[in-house]
Amino acid sequence: MKLKKMLIVGTALFAGVHAQAADMELEFWTMNLAKFNTYFDQTIVKFNEANPGLKAKWVDMNWDQIQPKLIASIAAGNPPALVNFNVPWVHEFAAQGNILPLDQFLGANKAIYSTNAVKDVQVKGQMYAFPWYNSTQIIAYNKDIFAKAGIKNAPKTFDEFIVMGKQIKAKTGLAAFAPKMSDMIGFFYYAGLPVITDGKAVFNSPKHVAFIQKFADLYKAGVMPKDVFKMAFEQEIAAYNSGKIAMMTTAAQGLKRTETDAKAIYDKTEVAPFPLDAGKLNLGSWMMDFVIPKGTKDPAAAAKLGIFLTSDEQQLAFSKATESTMPSTKKANLDPYFQSGANSADVVDRARSVAAKSMDNARTLTLTPGTLPDETVMTKKLQDEIQNAVEGRKSVKEALDTAAAAWNEKLKK
Amino acid sequence: MKNSSSYTGIAYLFLAPALILMGIFTFWPVGYNAYLAFNNYSIADGVATWNNFEHFKYIAHEELFHNALKNSLIYLLIVPVIQIAALLVAKLVNNKLPGMTFFRAAFYIPVITAVSIAGVVWVNVYKYDGILTWFLQMLHLIPQGSDGQVDWLGNPDFALFGVMMFTFWKGIGWFMVLYLAGLQGIPKEVEEAAILDGANVFQRFWKITVPMVKPTILLCTLMSTIAAMKVFQEVAILTKGQADTYTAMFYVYDQAFRNYNFGRAAAAGLVVTFFCMILAAIQFRFLGEKK
Repeated sequence: MKLKKMLIVGTALFAGVHAQAADMELEFWTMNLAKFNTYFDQTIVKFNEANPGLKAKWVDMNWDQIQPKLIASIAAGNPPALVNFNVPWVHEFAAQGNILPLDQFLGANKAIYSTNAVKDVQVKGQMYAFPWYNSTQIIAYNKDIFAKAGIKNAPKTFDEFIVMGKQIKAKTGLAAFAPKMSDMIGFFYYAGLPVITDGKAVFNSPKHVAFIQKFADLYKAGVMPKDVFKMAFEQEIAAYNSGKIAMMTTAAQGLKRTETDAKAIYDKTEVAPFPLDAGKLNLGSWMMDFVIPKGTKDPAAAAKLGIFLTSDEQQLAFSKATESTMPSTKKANLDPYFQSGANSADVVDRARSVAAKSMDNARTLTLTPGTLPDETVMTKKLQDEIQNAVEGRKSVKEALDTAAAAWNEKLKK
Repeated sequence: MKNSSSYTGIAYLFLAPALILMGIFTFWPVGYNAYLAFNNYSIADGVATWNNFEHFKYIAHEELFHNALKNSLIYLLIVPVIQIAALLVAKLVNNKLPGMTFFRAAFYIPVITAVSIAGVVWVNVYKYDGILTWFLQMLHLIPQGSDGQVDWLGNPDFALFGVMMFTFWKGIGWFMVLYLAGLQGIPKEVEEAAILDGANVFQRFWKITVPMVKPTILLCTLMSTIAAMKVFQEVAILTKGQADTYTAMFYVYDQAFRNYNFGRAAAAGLVVTFFCMILAAIQFRFLGEKK
């Protein structure tokens, strides 16, 4: 009996002491950043030192696992403190109510982020994510193919881009480029064309028809590869690396792949900013951020970690670690590190400085959240119709009219 | 002396592990799915709100779902093709010549190849400048050069048949093995008697072989039909649903994991199940044993 009492008291004491000593663990998830472990380990040490009682824990996973795992953890009641998201996901999850608004935690810290970065993650006037690293598309082109086609410089406007594409195909027989046709809504914004106005689909106006007609003409002339609608960034990089297309639009990170996989093409590569069109926005800017999921144990502590990870210092350090990403804060972007590679012999350095200069016009181009009642189906309808038009199975006007009618029917409800 | 009731008890004991696993991973999800089809499910709150037949009414008016169902039903055309081909191949490898083991293995290897890996290879076969185009250009069946290059999986007119070819290649070995087992059950004397009576190959096949493997035919046709209605993996890897290859299960997947609307996905899943049940009933009627 005495032994039993001792054991009970001993366990209670032990548990009590242990509970007091245990720090609050803040788990944060990132996607596809496993090779920057030195950076994250150092960051975690810094954060833990500055915040006694809090312990940051880093978990990295493949990008297509983040959403399913997050949903599962929210449903199970134990979501992590922070999750690395991209901009479309922020809007999706904010609309569903699965992530928390952050203005209450940010306070004055909101001012460190660049204006466009803040706009990217705002839903109905509230910020739903901590802006993190950014990147914007540049053109990487094969100097040899350009020389063969008689082109001296990279295109400066979108119309030049198209004319040069046709010239390359005519003089060399190779496809000139493979733009990301899987995101036509982004392309509309890039061209300064609206998609939905006053709750109605407006993408069948004459201007829109003319814009898509440009792509149809390019496809017919063979300037884009025949399976361009199937090509995601993996296939575009592979086509460029094997010399099948003359230009690739990529973030500076993409060039590192060319460096390792196709050194011969890498040596012939030059970079230039992606031409702006009427929308005066970069095509394919892609900002990453951190969100706080609903149901996390201590949102205030999670916010502390979020603010720390996305501060000027940390973002600059991260950019230096990746050598190819940009910060989304005002001060860090002005750091001389980014322009130092402007005249370097290494293409990735030059790419970084080109991208840094283009950051002013960087906005992640997606449709406003909650606009579409059934996003998957409606986006698919628009993409299918545009594919039919570009590949020559329907006239552009007919395709856009059909898609607009389908959208308006759904939007009416 | 053990009596029959204790044998029953022991039998259930042996069945228990499998039944428990099936209960957790098969029966409960099916039941819960049927329940979800009549609810609006909110993930963040984990709350399901009853909404009668709202989801069913929605997908009844959804043009994409009708199209998807149509594609799934067109996919059923592969069933007779693959069954007859598998039965013929099984008959061919069902003899004692040397080298038969090699052929049996060769036909079965596609079955055990992972769908994703096989899919990647077939994407390259179907590319506009891939193996199929090269082959047809070599036989001068299509124009030479880049004019003749066809984006096989990009044209809505025949992309679905391209995907069906992939299923055919992948599945024929599986059914061949099942038919082989069925053929082993036919006694040799029946065949020999028919030869003595003067029956030719054609007559022997249709009048002896086919009727005697009828149970196997029913089983294989049923499995093949359900697999065809449920096609998703092949489409996801080869075309991602583009070029009019969007099938019913792809719609279910999209609604569940891109729209996060589990209720609507469950309703669409139930509709597919309903079609499968009707097709199964028809097959039991026509191919089943008349008692």
